[in-house]
Amino acid sequence: MNKKGSLKALLLVIIAAATLEVTGLVQFYFSQKGIREEAGMRAESQLDATRNRIMDVVNQAEAAVRNSVWIAQWCMNYPDSLQRVCWRLVEDNPVVVGSTVALVPGYNARRPLLAPYVFRNPEGELQALSLATESYDYPSQEWFVKPLETGGGYWSEPYVDTGGGEMLMTTYSMPIRDYNGKLAAVLTADISLDWLTELVGNVKVYPQAFSIMLSRSGRLMVSPAESLVMKKTVGEYVSEMDDTTGLTGLTDALMSGRSGNMAVNYKGATSYVYFSPVERTGWSMSIVIPESDIYANLRSIGTIVMLLQVLGLLLIIFMLRSFFKGEARYKALDQKRQRIEGELHIATGIQMSMVPKSFPAFPERHDLDMAATIVPAKEVGGDLYDFFIRDEKLFFCVGDVSGKGIPAALVMAVTRTSFRNLSSSTCSPGRIVTAMNDSLSAMNESSMFVTLFCGVLNLVDGNLLYCNAGHNPPRILTDAIRTLPVEPNLPLGIMPGFEYKEQETVLKYDDAIFLYTDGLTEAENINHEQFGEERTDAVLRQRRSAQGHLEAVKKAVAGFVGEAEQSDDLTMLFVHYLNQTHSEMKERSIELLNDVRQIPRMAEFVEAVVAEKKIDNDVAMGIHLAIEEAVTNVMMYAYPEGTEGSVELKAVMTSDRLSFILSDSGKPFDPTAAPDPDVTASAEDRPIGGLGIHLVRRIMDSVQYERKDGKNYLTMTKNI
Amino acid sequence: MEVKIQKQENGVIAELIGRLDTPASQEVAPAFDSLKEDAAGTIILDCTQLSYISSSGLRLFLSTRKAAGEKGGKVIVKGISNDIRTVFMMTGFLNLFEIQ
Repeated sequence: MNKKGSLKALLLVIIAAATLEVTGLVQFYFSQKGIREEAGMRAESQLDATRNRIMDVVNQAEAAVRNSVWIAQWCMNYPDSLQRVCWRLVEDNPVVVGSTVALVPGYNARRPLLAPYVFRNPEGELQALSLATESYDYPSQEWFVKPLETGGGYWSEPYVDTGGGEMLMTTYSMPIRDYNGKLAAVLTADISLDWLTELVGNVKVYPQAFSIMLSRSGRLMVSPAESLVMKKTVGEYVSEMDDTTGLTGLTDALMSGRSGNMAVNYKGATSYVYFSPVERTGWSMSIVIPESDIYANLRSIGTIVMLLQVLGLLLIIFMLRSFFKGEARYKALDQKRQRIEGELHIATGIQMSMVPKSFPAFPERHDLDMAATIVPAKEVGGDLYDFFIRDEKLFFCVGDVSGKGIPAALVMAVTRTSFRNLSSSTCSPGRIVTAMNDSLSAMNESSMFVTLFCGVLNLVDGNLLYCNAGHNPPRILTDAIRTLPVEPNLPLGIMPGFEYKEQETVLKYDDAIFLYTDGLTEAENINHEQFGEERTDAVLRQRRSAQGHLEAVKKAVAGFVGEAEQSDDLTMLFVHYLNQTHSEMKERSIELLNDVRQIPRMAEFVEAVVAEKKIDNDVAMGIHLAIEEAVTNVMMYAYPEGTEGSVELKAVMTSDRLSFILSDSGKPFDPTAAPDPDVTASAEDRPIGGLGIHLVRRIMDSVQYERKDGKNYLTMTKNI
Repeated sequence: MEVKIQKQENGVIAELIGRLDTPASQEVAPAFDSLKEDAAGTIILDCTQLSYISSSGLRLFLSTRKAAGEKGGKVIVKGISNDIRTVFMMTGFLNLFEIQ
């Protein structure tokens, strides 16, 4: 060793230290961004879903009123029958709890004030009374005044109804004109909002998150502070908080009638508020998520990363000290290097101790048998594996860092942590790998790269999504052993911004997948022959447990290389999929022509399927209807008129659901893109068509369209 | 699918018997058309023996209702089963007809 050598070593250490710091930061930045975006998406989809549920009720109430306008109008000459109108309205519409037709004062000379009211009492029976009392003075009530002013439908401010128990209610009212066009009365429907508290209160995207619903005037309709409901407006509530400095603009934003989000600060803690208006009612809904909740997961990982960094830096300081110790500097260097490698082995050990190492890994699961191992070479290498289960999905990866020694070990540590971080916020291996690449490329001045295979196996249905970053393709063990087809893409760390292509396959019951690094196939004996795939397959052909397979391969490799020194880490991961649902899966199919006279044949087929699945009669009727609508639609419109075409209907039954897959080779048509018809319109305004697809969507639990290989596929699923 | 039509004082009553699916709807469309002669009076659709209805069948109901609306008559739907009531609810038809 000479002085030049020691300088080189020093440089290496500095690069390593810099790499360590920069990777930590870069990766943190990317993870944080991803997790924040995820939180936004979750909040917005919850807002959407909740708003749709609310609109469903709102639409029903509005339709109930609108559809009774004509009869109320007709009754203007027969004021005694108005009570009957209200009665029918409440009776026919379960969402409506009360209704009145209130005459404009003086409209009817003989009945200056008239407002028969019908409501559902707590026992569910209908009762009638009159609102035309002196104490109530209906002509001055908001529900009466506003629609006459605006000439259209109006949702009242929510109010607490004290008549029949403490119930939060709101009223939809509409002006009625007589046949001469003169404003004659106001027709209303009351709906109870008790369900709203439950619906909105149950929206929990994160453990500490909460939801707020505001009325048009900003009054709290749903709030975690229940005592304030309907008593305070959001403006009052905010201005009475202990520390309002970080809350500027919040009230205005919530009352703006727009969707959006903003960050607020209360007593030093940041929260994100996502808000969205509920059309027509003037309400505004918002979800508040504390920042600490969003990043809870990241924080624990952050601690691990910090610990690793401290460990790495300690190593570096230790090395620097040895360099500057003066005497015996050159002589001892080799010895030191060995010791550093020893310590690095320990560091790697710590890193790897965080991945699951005891097998079977999931003894409580009967649908999965898996094992993984790393056989380290003498010189520190950069192999890694990791796996875990989240939301009934198995996330796993195997990777290999180019080169050896300190930098490789450090990049390996960072890669593994970044896999854990990024896969906590998405289930798409393509996205995980693309983000890992961005994070590794950004700090990659030392031109290190990593080959990696990342998979996400849906344990419910065996669907396997995977993404390969320049890694050798895994072996798939089905009825035969074959190579899983993979896009090569690029190794990680070479090109920032590269979009990694994700692929998909399905594992059937008893299929297995075997991942490995080239340390296996390229293991050499003293004659420089390689172990290769054939020898690997020969071992895998026997039937063993996952752990048994890995032991057998290790043994075969050891026997093959003999005296030769192991030059590279050897990493293997084996996943054996044992989900029984597939053995219970049944398929039936029928081929039809595009002729509606074949509908009875289709009906017989559906009848046989629902009978085989032992589906209740009332559900079966809906399924019949939905399938007939979808099939008729294809028969009538997929092929040009007068040409013959075929329509295939396949039923797939599993233990908990029944799916129908309808396919045809006609022109591309996505029925799910069609807008829903307005089922509340009056008979005169309703178009004759458009109901079929609406029925399919209402009846089935999921409807998905796909265009593949020149064919239309419509998959309709009913959960059972 | 069978439609039994009987003239009545101030209108007509049509008894619907069987499954009103897509091909059946095409088959009975002329019968429904003939009901429109009485659109100014009361058209009663007796569904007591109607076991199933698809959207093609609903169309026949709607066009009858439209004809009655134009001529000032009305359509009464009688005796629908719970299953068919559900379909009427999903499509908003409950509010378009007088249901008995």
